[in-house]
Amino acid sequence: MEFNSAIEGKNILKKYKNFTLDIGELKIPQGFATALIGENGAGKTTLLDILAGTNLEYKGELTFFGKYDDKDREKNPDVKNNIGYTGTGDYFFPRWTLKQVEELQELLFDGFDKNRYRELLKELAIVSGKAFEDSKKISNLSDGNKIKLMLAGVLARDTKLLLLDEPASPLDPLMRDKLCNMLRDYLAENEGEKTVVFSTHNITDMESITDYVIIVEQGRIVEQGFVEDLKEKYIVVKGEKKDESFASRIISNLSSSSYGFEGICLSEDLDKLSGLDIAVERPTLSQISVHVMKQYSALAMVDNREKTA
Amino acid sequence: MKIMQSSGVPIYQQIADNFKGDILEGRLKQGEYLPSIRGLAKDLKISVITTLKAYEMLEQEGLVTAVQGKGYYVNAQDTQMLMEQHRRKVEEAFLNAIYSAKLAGMTREELVETLETLLRLEEM
Repeated sequence: MEFNSAIEGKNILKKYKNFTLDIGELKIPQGFATALIGENGAGKTTLLDILAGTNLEYKGELTFFGKYDDKDREKNPDVKNNIGYTGTGDYFFPRWTLKQVEELQELLFDGFDKNRYRELLKELAIVSGKAFEDSKKISNLSDGNKIKLMLAGVLARDTKLLLLDEPASPLDPLMRDKLCNMLRDYLAENEGEKTVVFSTHNITDMESITDYVIIVEQGRIVEQGFVEDLKEKYIVVKGEKKDESFASRIISNLSSSSYGFEGICLSEDLDKLSGLDIAVERPTLSQISVHVMKQYSALAMVDNREKTA
Repeated sequence: MKIMQSSGVPIYQQIADNFKGDILEGRLKQGEYLPSIRGLAKDLKISVITTLKAYEMLEQEGLVTAVQGKGYYVNAQDTQMLMEQHRRKVEEAFLNAIYSAKLAGMTREELVETLETLLRLEEM
């Protein structure tokens, strides 16, 4: 499917001592929610930091909204004001009070709507029904509340792009549901104009909002696409014990039990299993992600073995 | 619109079927716009891409037309022809059932009875 890109990247390279992020081509579809998925240490946070501009030590080209480069992101208020970012670390100083945090955001960004911010804080139950506790310190907030404070901050601004690093992780199930609804509201605000990018480990919780997926492993993109397309590209296969050894030639990472086997393969490979007594099913995003991640983890292990041999 | 998460029917299919019904039975009229993609995704608590896929299916079937920046509107329908197509699908499904029943050695009475039981269950 063709789409406009909110962000385009070319040859993004970032080297650390034991890790290299190497993204040949990156396209984030505008008007959709994109999930960055991958193992711990796969490079999701590094990539988001580069996109957000919190990490400027990298090589490569970036284009925002089809016309701005990464220097504009630093200098041009049109770009800066249109991007909202939340990270996983302590973004606000721990000793600051809620009041100071609010004032800072008002100063930093044009289009910060203070009333909306307070509404959001209430909605996110940081100040549950009580008066806004201006004097409360950041260090006294739970991890969940810290992320909620950041989310309220970016959602209270007039942005076109949200970059959220693991927004769902510290949240309880109710709040994750609320987060999904808030992001859907955001996407619906100006039909097709606003874009969300988030990284997540909670694929199942975030599946109902994910439109586009980028799976990152070992610093590279190993699979990407619109969720509905990926659900047609891959297929879940279940079968009888007797067919297991044959099926395992087609299906990698097949899981076996005393009753039979189950696994995921490419839909185009289904022909090769004809004649077997199998049942097929549309995969969930979670099943696809785990399948792809397993494949590349396994490949990496083989690579390492070859290197050490 | 009721969307079942685990009915086995893909969600985009359920949405498309729903609108198809609305169009064929005249609840959505020629020239009317479908809800905006992201608005519907928000209301149904599903992803944007799933809604988009449903709308694209309807477009492929010629039921709606996409207008850049405006959304999807309902086409003029040859309802007679669409109903005919639907009937043919039903007949096909019945023929399949008859064939399977023969294989299983079911009698005519048993087959009719099965259909009636199923109809009763649907009504419940």
